Amino acid sequence: MKDIEELHFPEDIRYSQDHEWARPEGDLFVVGISDYAQDQLGDIVFVELPATGRTLTEGEDFGSVESVKAVSELLAPLAGEVVAVNAELEDQPEMVNSQPYKGGWMMKIKPANGADYDQLMDRDAYLNMLKG
Amino acid sequence: MTAAYLLDLPRTDYSEALALQRAAVDARRSGRLDRDLVILLEHPPVFTLGRRGGRENLLISEAILQEKGIAIVPVERGGDITYHGPGQLVVYPLIDLTAARIKVVELVTAMETAMVRTAAQWGVSARGDTVHRGAWVGPRKLGSVGITVRRSVSFHGLALNVTTDRTPFTWINPCGIQSCEMTTLAREAGAAVSMETVRQQMVAHLGLLLDLTFERVSRDTLAPMVQEAA
Repeated sequence: MKDIEELHFPEDIRYSQDHEWARPEGDLFVVGISDYAQDQLGDIVFVELPATGRTLTEGEDFGSVESVKAVSELLAPLAGEVVAVNAELEDQPEMVNSQPYKGGWMMKIKPANGADYDQLMDRDAYLNMLKG
Repeated sequence: MTAAYLLDLPRTDYSEALALQRAAVDARRSGRLDRDLVILLEHPPVFTLGRRGGRENLLISEAILQEKGIAIVPVERGGDITYHGPGQLVVYPLIDLTAARIKVVELVTAMETAMVRTAAQWGVSARGDTVHRGAWVGPRKLGSVGITVRRSVSFHGLALNVTTDRTPFTWINPCGIQSCEMTTLAREAGAAVSMETVRQQMVAHLGLLLDLTFERVSRDTLAPMVQEAA
């Protein structure tokens, strides 16, 4: 596994205990998995995403990523409605590895309560959790 | 070395073992289960489908399977359709990967290596494969791997064919690969192979590879920590 120092954790997003991230975009939040999570998984060969319109509770299983005979469940960092998913991941799942915070985004959600975002960890808190 | 629990079960129904695994994963995540847990068992005959399905790799009709009393169970693990049955050693490592600082790919590789080293003790030269994961003897598949990670905790695991009846494998394209021939340790060794000895060897290899020391526990010991859904 890479050292945590070699991984990238932007300052402008927040992180969940389960290694998902959320970034505000207008009234919505963009969601993906962190550089730590993609590195942990290895080469991703398949991404399963939810249907748009689905309502998620916080921590709910919203899809999965598959690598090397391993399926990892994805858990919603925020409650809300799925308004868009990244269809490009169907053909290019490896973007989750190469660009976890950009091309590898997974879904956009309309939050049930925008203030939930403040309960997620900032970069420093997430790094502290990773370093255990 | 980290202390872990080892649960060595007799032949156990697939759905029953799956419920136990799911309950133990929840318990591990919440901390009620205070150590990683490795489960060893055999299943009665059953086919399981991976998260991406695999029904198209079933080559006989489901009606025939029903007649034979063999169920098809869809599960959340990686990989495609596979068969479990008597004579096949199944190992489920429930490991908090974040706490153990083990990558998913490292766990998969460790499971392959444990199968390869166990086979070597019977004079069988097997190898892992970074593309078609599993343990292989030449072009023949000796053992399979497929795991799920839920909130950082792994479950599902490996299946090593020791004395398994190979007939049910001919009813599927195992692992979704066409014309992938399955084999067993007994067949490759050309000798009788003791499942009990294989279990002991497997535990020793997994302990070394995953840096775990095992304390054998019973289901009754685990019960207060692992509340199974009714």
